[in-house]
Amino acid sequence: MSAGTAHRLVWLVALLPSLLFLATLAPGDLSSMGSALNTIGRLAGVAGLAMLLMAAILSARIPGVDRPFGGLTRLWRTHHFLGAGSLILLLAHPLLLAFSAGTTSLYAARTMLFPPLSDLASWSGWAALILMMLFLAPSFSFFGHPRFERWKKLHRLAGPAVALALIHGFWLSRGLPQWLNITVWSVFAMVALGAVTWRFVFSRRIGRRGCRVSKVERVANNVVELTLSPEHGKFAHEAGNFVYLAPYDPGLEAGYGEEHPYTLSSSPLEPALRIAIKDLGDASRAIQSIREGAHATIEGPYGRFFPNPRAVTDPELWVAGGIGITPFLARMRLLKQLGKPADACLIFCVQDEARELYGQELRSLASSLSGFRLNFHHFYREGPITREYIEKVCPDMAQRLLHVCGPRPLKDLVVQHARAAGIPVSSIHSEEFELL
Amino acid sequence: MSLKKPVYTAFVAFWACVFTIVLLDSLSGTDSGHPPPQAHSPDTYTLAEVARHDTLDDCWMAIEGKVYDFTDYIERHPTEPSVLEPWCGSEATEGMKTKGYGRNHSQRAWRAMEDYLIGELSEEE
Repeated sequence: MSAGTAHRLVWLVALLPSLLFLATLAPGDLSSMGSALNTIGRLAGVAGLAMLLMAAILSARIPGVDRPFGGLTRLWRTHHFLGAGSLILLLAHPLLLAFSAGTTSLYAARTMLFPPLSDLASWSGWAALILMMLFLAPSFSFFGHPRFERWKKLHRLAGPAVALALIHGFWLSRGLPQWLNITVWSVFAMVALGAVTWRFVFSRRIGRRGCRVSKVERVANNVVELTLSPEHGKFAHEAGNFVYLAPYDPGLEAGYGEEHPYTLSSSPLEPALRIAIKDLGDASRAIQSIREGAHATIEGPYGRFFPNPRAVTDPELWVAGGIGITPFLARMRLLKQLGKPADACLIFCVQDEARELYGQELRSLASSLSGFRLNFHHFYREGPITREYIEKVCPDMAQRLLHVCGPRPLKDLVVQHARAAGIPVSSIHSEEFELL
Repeated sequence: MSLKKPVYTAFVAFWACVFTIVLLDSLSGTDSGHPPPQAHSPDTYTLAEVARHDTLDDCWMAIEGKVYDFTDYIERHPTEPSVLEPWCGSEATEGMKTKGYGRNHSQRAWRAMEDYLIGELSEEE
C-alpha cells in the first residue's frame, strides 16, 4: 500500500460517520430552511468530532507506525489538516444550529447558543470548543509564531477537549440513530483513548530509551554533534531517521527534560548514535554546552526520508540547506561503510564558505563514493538557487529522484524548480521540521 | 498550503456571528431571562379540545399541564413526522420523556417547546 493510499484511508475513516449520517437522513431533514440548517449543523458536528478523534489517533507517535504513511512529518501534515477541518466544522456546528433556531425566533437562536447553566450537555460542547480554540490557536499562529514548548504544553489541552466533545456527542446523540451513534463513537473513542494512553503513559515508559552523551564535538560555532551511547542494547534505525531527544543535564540553562526532534547524522552501522544540533532556539542553544556523561533519552526512530536508504538504485538529486545536511551525511556515511556506489548529485546550500558544515568530511565521503557529485551553493555569491544552477551541476535532474531537506523557503523553491523541470510529485521527497 | 488564513477567518467569523446574534436579540427587546411574549397565554383548553387537533397538519399536544401547537414544528423535528403523529391531539408527556430507548428529551428540547405554548390544560373534562 502506497503512502498516498494510506492517507486516503485515514480520510475515509474520518469521513465515515458523516457518510453514515447522510445515509440515515429522514425525508423531513431537508424539507425547510430551518430543518436543512439544523441537519447541516448536526452533520458539521458529526464530521468535526470524527476528524478531531482521528487527529488524536494520529498523534500517538508509535515508532514504525509512521512508515506506511511516508514518515512522521507527512503523518503530521494529515493530522494538521484534520485538526484544521475539525475546528472549522465545530465552529460552524453551533452557529448553524443557532441559525436553524433563528427561523423560530431570535430568542431561540440565542438560547441555542447560550442555554441555562444546568444544560451540561451543551456546555460540555462549549467547553470542548473553547479548549480547541486555545490549543489550536498556536498551531495556526493566531497570535504570532509560538515557542515550541509553549505550543506543546497548550496542545495537551487536546485530551480534555476530546473527552468533553465525546461527552457532548454521547449526551445529545442526535447525529446518528442511537445504536449507530453508540457503536461508531465508542470505537473512535477507544482507539483515540489507546493512542493518547500510549502517547502520555506507555511511550514514556517503553518508547523512551536511556543513553549517555559520550562525546560532544563542536562542528561550527553554532552547531554541536553529540555522540549518544544507548544504555541498553543497540538502537536500530536507518539513515534519514530522526528521534526525539530529551537531555537531563542539570547544568543546562534551558530545555532540561524537554524533548525535541533531531535527525540522526550517524550511519546505522555505527555502535553509537550521532546527532548534529544547530542553535536555533532556547533549548538547542543550551544543549550546545551539554556536558559529556550527561543522561538523555531518545524516542523513535521516526521518518522515512529515504525509501531505500541502503542503496542508490536510481539516480538521485539531493538538495540540503544548512543543518538540513544531516540526513544526507548519515546516508553518505552508511553508503561508504557498505562500499556501495552512489549515483547521487548533492547540492549543499549555505550562506558562505565558513558555513559549510562538515565540509571536509563531505568532500572526503564524496570522493570515496563511486558516481557521487558534490556541489556547494553559496547564497552570498549566487543568490537564491535557480533551476539553471541545478541543471548546470546536474544536467539530468529531470530523470532523478529528488530529496530536499532544509529551510521551508529553500524547499519550496527547489520543489518548484523540480516540478518545472518535469520531476513528478511521486519522485520528490522532502523533510521539514516546521510542524506548525 | 497554509491553513492559517482559512482557520483564522473561521475563528473570527464565529465570534462575529455569536456577538451579532446576542446583540440583535438584546436590541430586539427580548429579555433572555424570560420566555418570549407569545409564551404567556391565558387560554385554557380541555383535553377534548386538544384531541380535535390530531393530525400532522394541525397538531396540538398536552404536556405536563400545558398545551402546545406543534403544527409549524413538525417538519423541524429531527425524527420523521410519523413518529410524532400518534401524539398529536393527546396527552404527550410520556412521549417527551421516553424518546428512543426510554430517554428523556434534552433540556434544550423542553425549553424550545416554550415557543409553541398556546395555553394551559383545563382540569375540566
